[in-house]
Amino acid sequence: MPDAEWLFDGTLGILLLVLAGAALHARSLYAAVVMFIALGLMLALTWARLGAPDLALAEAAIGAGVTGALLFSTLYKAGMDRHKRATPNRIALLLPGLAFLLLLTAAWPLPEMHSPLPDQVMAHLKDSGVSHPVTAVLLNFRAWDTLLEVSVVLIALLGVRQLYPSHGEVPTPWPLMLAWGRLLAPLTVIVGGYLLWRGTDAPGGAFQAGTVLAAGGVALRLIGVLPPLGWHQWPVRLLVLAGVLVFVAVAALTAWLGQGWLHYPTGSSKVLILLIELMATASIATTLTLLVVGEKRELRP
Amino acid sequence: MNPALLSLLTPLATAILMLLCRSRAAVWTIAASLLSLVAAIAALYQVTTDGSQLIHLGGWESPLAIRFRVTALSALLLAFTALIHLLVGLYAARSRHSQTRNTDYWPLSCFLHASLASLWLSTDLFNWYVILELLGLTAVALVSLAGTKAHRAAFNYLLLSLAASLCYLLGVALLYGRYGVLDSLLLADMLEADHTTRTALLVITLGLMLKAALWPLHLWLPPAHAGAPTAVSALLSALVVKGPLFVLWMLWSQVAPVELGRQAGPAMAAAGVAALVSAGWSACRTPHIKTLVAYSTVAQLGYALLALGMLLRWGVRELHVALWLFVFAHGLAKASMFLAAGEMQSTLGSKKVSALRGATQTVPVAMFAFAVAGGSLIGLPPSGGFLAKWVLLQPLLLEPSHWPWALGVLLGTLASAAYVFRVIALSFDRAPPPRPDYNPDPVAQWLTLLPALLVWGMALGGETLILWMSGVAY
Repeated sequence: MPDAEWLFDGTLGILLLVLAGAALHARSLYAAVVMFIALGLMLALTWARLGAPDLALAEAAIGAGVTGALLFSTLYKAGMDRHKRATPNRIALLLPGLAFLLLLTAAWPLPEMHSPLPDQVMAHLKDSGVSHPVTAVLLNFRAWDTLLEVSVVLIALLGVRQLYPSHGEVPTPWPLMLAWGRLLAPLTVIVGGYLLWRGTDAPGGAFQAGTVLAAGGVALRLIGVLPPLGWHQWPVRLLVLAGVLVFVAVAALTAWLGQGWLHYPTGSSKVLILLIELMATASIATTLTLLVVGEKRELRP
Repeated sequence: MNPALLSLLTPLATAILMLLCRSRAAVWTIAASLLSLVAAIAALYQVTTDGSQLIHLGGWESPLAIRFRVTALSALLLAFTALIHLLVGLYAARSRHSQTRNTDYWPLSCFLHASLASLWLSTDLFNWYVILELLGLTAVALVSLAGTKAHRAAFNYLLLSLAASLCYLLGVALLYGRYGVLDSLLLADMLEADHTTRTALLVITLGLMLKAALWPLHLWLPPAHAGAPTAVSALLSALVVKGPLFVLWMLWSQVAPVELGRQAGPAMAAAGVAALVSAGWSACRTPHIKTLVAYSTVAQLGYALLALGMLLRWGVRELHVALWLFVFAHGLAKASMFLAAGEMQSTLGSKKVSALRGATQTVPVAMFAFAVAGGSLIGLPPSGGFLAKWVLLQPLLLEPSHWPWALGVLLGTLASAAYVFRVIALSFDRAPPPRPDYNPDPVAQWLTLLPALLVWGMALGGETLILWMSGVAY
């Protein structure tokens, strides 16, 4: 029934705009973060409506989930109330308006254009080792991009480490959180593992799975089940670096012994992709956990 | 393995292994830079004998996958990147004042090296986006090594860098929506001068100009480059701002339709002249040594922008040579100048330009390095800066209608002479009695001189260099 769909999409569109405005102009930072998380969830729904379930999963996990957690932990450290509201002036409103019009006119003819790439991806899908086109693009056709993306996550952690962030004491968990955290953690392992495994033939993959696992890690740390995690512990370092390490090793070995940089040998594509995804998941999960609840002990010896 | 790939792989693998072992030893980074330099020279040799080559990553045909292209220019840039990292690494390892002892500078600078190397090799618009993100984040992390006082500058750098990345990505998305491919070499034959393409090029150019600190989007650069640790300032000014410039050059000179380039050229050239004059003026006025050097970077980037603008306007081949000679000469000279400035300010114990009074007597070698590097920035013969300006001026002087632009170059030269001689004149005054903790390090001062000597050495093989660079394909 097209009318109901229109109604749903229209409501979603208006809701997105309202939430974005609310996140920008909320009275307190706390409210702004809550609005931002809600915006992320609505955005995930929008991606799902646009037929991009991979993006929807990523947006829900990273855009709404991890970013929200990071914003909240920043608020906790920085103090809630230091917030100056800027008064918007007219020129500041005019400029985005003009930019919007320019981009709208530029993007208007795009729906009629056709890219040769999706057909090529589908044509080469059977040689890629996986049956989900998005995974094939991310881990085979354009694996170099993904290698660099995994490095970006690593550099983000390294950059944050240079600021000597003070995470302070983990607050004593209240009883409900204790019970809930114990229930939640195994669930995140199941969901994360499922997302990772499904990634070869359906939406899912390392980034989403890693984020879900990180949620479990953060919950376990907050209820005191996990010991303090820090860069000085070698297993933590190994987990953080595993993704990039395995990826670069595969690239180097294929270039040195095989047919070329990231050219997986015939037949072993699926195994290699799975290995890389597994390691990347571990890395992303550990990195995100460290970003939210990491210790800083060893930085200034 | 292909030597160009080896030149990229060495710093990347070194960075990861150093992080894994928690090693902060300079020797690994320096060894990696050296190995990468050797590999880059091998790649350069291979390219000059066999011609440029395409590397299909993953063995897939483009447009499906990403391609690397090794040309004479990219091999030269690989070697240049490794060389600067090597020279700066040597200084940072030796000097007490580099603020890099026992920090994450060493693995991070390896990451910086690897991301620059992949930038020179790549030909893919989206891959460039990822690399620019990596480059920007690494640079911000390096700036924040300087401690709490650099955090604000680092944060502003981060936010502007992210905004610039988003601008760039928006333009890439428009181009992908319009033409359906991301490979810049394929796009070169497809681009038409329609509204979508114009808008895409406009937002991409704005993003890249912000990242490369090209006038008028340069205001983040002086605090970030001046506030960073000395070795980091040298890397940022010599190399990092050249990354987005490379993408800008590729996009406009190889991909964009010629008639669009012809329209945009004069605006870019005018921005270049404005950068030369206004940043030169700011460098003459600023009270701080490292801020002066940072403003000089903004001004010198004006030459590159001027060369690019006129290249687009008239399509004269020599201007490619002029642009890249400027990049090489400026990189070497600026590395030397920043290292010398940092060494002097730490030895003399003040950030003020006025503290350099009598520096020829207190820190003679570092002051000499500053003056020698400054000579190349002004364009005094026989230096790399002179070569670049020579190649730039030739097409300008040929036609009387181009003479106003030559006037711009003249103004820029005057401005750079003014800020360099402002420091040199002061350094010949009688030195005040040294502070109690005055303890100069002659070896570190000599290490700051190395890049400056190399930039003057460029002039020795000047004719061969110009002829060779005019002969290679762009």
